[in-house]
Formats: sequence, structure tokens, C-alpha cells
Amino acid sequence: MSARPALVAAGPHSGAWLTDLRAAPVRLWQWWVLTIRMLVPAIKTGEILTSVLAPAAFTASFYIPLKTVMSFSGLGFSSYAQFMMPLVVLQAAAFTAIGAALRSATDAVSGLDRRFAAMPVGRLVPFSARMAGNVVRLLIAQAAALTCGHVIGFRFAQDWAHTMGFVGLGLLIGVAFTLGADVIGTASKSPETTTQALLLPPLILGMLSTGIAPAAQFPDWVQPFVRNQPVSQFATALRALAGDSQGNAGVADWATMTPALLWIGAIVVLALPFAVRFAIRRS
Amino acid sequence: MNEPAVVVEGVEKSFGEVRALRGVDFAAAQGEVLGILGPNGAGKTTTVNILSTLVTPDRGRAAVAGYDVVAEPAEVRRRIMLTGQFAALDDMLTGYENLVMFGRLLGLRKRTARARARELLVEFDLTGAADRRVGTYSGGMRRRIDIACGLVVRPEVVFLDEPTTGLDPRSRQGVWDLVGGFREHGITTLLTTQYLEEADALCDRIIVIDHGRVIAEGTADELKARTGGSYCEVVPLRLEDLPAIVTALGPLLPPESPAALAPDADRLAIPAPDGAKTLAEALRRLDAAGVELVDIALRRPSLDEVFLHLTGHPAEAFVDSEVPA
Repeated sequence: MSARPALVAAGPHSGAWLTDLRAAPVRLWQWWVLTIRMLVPAIKTGEILTSVLAPAAFTASFYIPLKTVMSFSGLGFSSYAQFMMPLVVLQAAAFTAIGAALRSATDAVSGLDRRFAAMPVGRLVPFSARMAGNVVRLLIAQAAALTCGHVIGFRFAQDWAHTMGFVGLGLLIGVAFTLGADVIGTASKSPETTTQALLLPPLILGMLSTGIAPAAQFPDWVQPFVRNQPVSQFATALRALAGDSQGNAGVADWATMTPALLWIGAIVVLALPFAVRFAIRRS
Repeated sequence: MNEPAVVVEGVEKSFGEVRALRGVDFAAAQGEVLGILGPNGAGKTTTVNILSTLVTPDRGRAAVAGYDVVAEPAEVRRRIMLTGQFAALDDMLTGYENLVMFGRLLGLRKRTARARARELLVEFDLTGAADRRVGTYSGGMRRRIDIACGLVVRPEVVFLDEPTTGLDPRSRQGVWDLVGGFREHGITTLLTTQYLEEADALCDRIIVIDHGRVIAEGTADELKARTGGSYCEVVPLRLEDLPAIVTALGPLLPPESPAALAPDADRLAIPAPDGAKTLAEALRRLDAAGVELVDIALRRPSLDEVFLHLTGHPAEAFVDSEVPA
């Protein structure tokens, strides 16, 4: 019986399971370990590449067919690439958000959230670590989106402050999206349903937005929606920050920025209390 | 510092209209293995959730390792290990990575966490699977890595929620040995299980919860004695001898139902308050009457019978399906 399993053969008397080590938790280590957990497996399996491929696929599938159509209709822009760039950035953020919902739902349904709650882990640490992981993925997706944009001819036409503003606003929108998605995932506890349900809003809001075509090109009855929905507001703000050599990209003033910032604020104000509540709740 | 490792006093908890706990009291001494048994929805999981700081009680007091679960939850969390029926692990990480992660979460330095992870992989017979993602593990392996993750540092109180449900005999024996080790090293164990023979074998003491209250408490032997103690079972060779047996045993039969035989009964049971003496007396009388027997034996009620007696639910109803709150 030399092949008996170690746990049985050695029994508790081997004492290897027994240790004098005691829990001495350090918040910062916890946050770091849980952030790494969101990234290392994704890098090892190559899953992180989807953050690069998604913007590329989106750029190709929209730019190639629409470029000629849109050039006819006269956008007043130097190129369709310059016009649609904000939508590439927004789709990259939306795609990252779907992944964020998938991961928070998985943590909830697997019982990890519950397990961490019964451990000396800081209440907000698992949530903030997930968000840190999301920000890293956002950075990768945004970099990929900008690279794709560059390839099809998008160029920043203004000073570095506006360029930083473009990148910053893109990230801020991404943070709001992933925050909302994280909350939805945690609440739903169903990775499959959540990711499927979240595929729809970006599609509808993306298609019916001024990110893809000027509002005047949509049917009259849908124009009020197209003009005022958040994706259009985000696209308008980003477009103004990017600028255009033809000078029709709008001005990055408060009138242009405020609606976008208010939408971001609204998402955060709505989602954050839930995030905190889910993190600290004891029923 | 002689307070019991676990104290529960007058704990009540409602979820909306549902009164999950209606005043639960019990205690577990340091190093004791306490079984918590009860039918579905009796309040076992709620009790464990309160003790592991996941749920706050509406009323009453609960303390673990000397710390109040409401006032000092952080201290409690540093001293407990909670492992459930469904292993809560990161499926994307390997077994080794999960162990290191839990070590780091509990404050071990990187080097210590890695060494500890390797140690536990050997102890739990998982070295071969160390670098595979936990998502690919079999049920038994998942349970082992789950328990191992809970033992990265030394707990003072361990909550095992149906630790052997669905496990193969080998893994089950491993868990049993481990519980013995906890007892030996002064680690208190609270165990819920649907296998009554498991509670019988492992637990120093058992509490039975039903309808949110502790309805019985004691060692397995004490609970069995409460159900009516031992009985003597007589199986005749020929069924037609049953009436003769009734006549022969006479005063040994229970007074309230002398010879209340079911039509299809092939055996007869009599109370055996004096144990072996009753058995000898029955044997003498049956011998004198010339009845041939297949079997005569002294039996003790199983825990299953104890539960049927205490709760009115058969043992099958013990399959746990309470939702963790």
C-alpha cells in the first residue's frame, strides 16, 4: 500500500497541513495580488489579445464598408477615419466593460466574493482590484484603438493638451462603463446572461449615434434620440478634442464637454453606491 | 481565557417574513468537533453564516475564538476557515497559484507563501496537478485544494459545510483524518453534514436544529438513548412462529403494544433496557419454547432513526439545499 494518497498515508500526524503561520493581512498586498489575478491568466492564455483584436475588428468592419458611402455624403471632415475615431474608442471601452461584467459575475457565482468576505480581506479590496484590472485592460484597448485609427488615417489635429484630454476622456468613459458593468455582473451572478445582455446596448447605442453618421442622416423621428443619447454626446466631445484639419470638428469648450461629463457622472453616481454596498454588505 | 471557542446565545435572524433562527443557543469548546444537523431550511447555513461574519444576527450574541462576530468581525475573520460544499476558488488560476494567492491575502511574504503552497500540494496529494488550472480539476481534487487554501495559515475555528458531499471514499477518509487532526491540535470544528454516520463517527457532540431552534444536543450516544435506547431484534426461521414468539416473550414485550405485528413483518423488536441481560432472557425464553431463529441481536438506533424521531423528517430530507445568504 505504498501508493496510498499522501493525505491518507501521512494522515494528520505528518502535520504538514498544520502550521504556526497566522493571518497578518496587509491591505496593499491583497489589492496587488487580486489585481494581478485579473491579468496574469489573461496574459498566459492570450485572452488579453482580445483587447487588441476587438478594436481592430471593429475598425475594419465599419471603416471599410462605410468609408466610401460616407465620403459621398460630405461630412465636412478630412476623412471618414477622422470622423469615426471616437466610436472606435467607445467600442473598445464597451468591449472591455463586457469583460468586466463577465469577471465580476464569475467571482460572485463561484463563491469567491463570499469566501473573501469571510476572510480578513479589506471590504473594498476585491472590487477595487477588479477595477484596477479593468483600467489596465482599458489602457491596452485604447492603445489598440488609437493604433488602428492611425492606420486608417486618423490624426490628432490639436495641441498636446487636447490630445491628453481625448485620451483622458476616453479612459474616464471606460472607467464609468466598466464600473457599471462590474456592478451588473455582481448583481446578476450569471456570467452567460450578463455578457449576452450587455452585447446589445453598445450595438444599438453605437449604431444610432452621431459617432457613425451626422444626426441629419438619420430619419427625422429618431433624430432627437440620436442627438442626445450618451454615445453621441461622448462622440461629439471626443471629436472636438481630436480636432480636424478642416476645422469642422467642433470646439472643445464646456458646452461640448459638459453633457459627456454629466453622463459619466450619472453612471458613476448610479453604480458606485451599489458597488460599495455589494462590497460591504452583511445581510 | 476559558471561554468556549464558539458561543451562540439567543441568536435570532429573519429574512423578511422568514424567521430563519428563533433563538439558538450552543457552545463549542476548544478542540471540539461539533456536528450541526437538521433538515432543509432548518437554519444550519444561517448559523454558519452568522458565525463566519457573513450575516449579522438580529438579536443575541455570537462569538468565535473570543471575538464578537458583530463588534469585531475582522478579528474573527483572521481566525476562521470556511469551506463550503462548492469549492470557492479562482478557476482561471492553477492549484499552486490559488494557494499562493490565499497565502498572500493572509499576509504571508512571497517566499513563505510559495513554500507553504508547495508543502500543502504534497500534503493534499496534488503535486501532479499543481500547474493545471483549477477549472480542470475533478470534484475530489477541487475539494482538496479548497480545504488546502483554507489551511495556508493556522485557523482556530474551522467551519466545514458538507465537506464530503459527493466525494469518493478515499478523499472522504482524508477529510475524516484531517478533522481528527484538528481535534488533536486544539482546532475547533463545526461540521454540517448530510451523512449521519459521518456525524456519528466524527463529532464529539451534535446539535440538532429544526425550525430555527436547537431541539436536541448531546453526544451521538446520548441522542440515541433519548430515542428509546437499544432494542432486541428477533428473526424467526419460519414466519408462522411469530405468534409463538409473542407468547414466549410475554412480559418482555412493550406494554403499550404487546404483539402489534405488521401483517408483512418478518421479525419482532423488543425494548432492551438492560442490554445484554434482556437479550439473554429473550434467548432463554425462546429456547424453552423451541422456536428456531435465523437471527437475534441487540441493536442500537441509528442516527437516522434518532432524526426521524426528533424532527419527524426522514433522513433523506437532510440533503442540504439551503441558499447561502
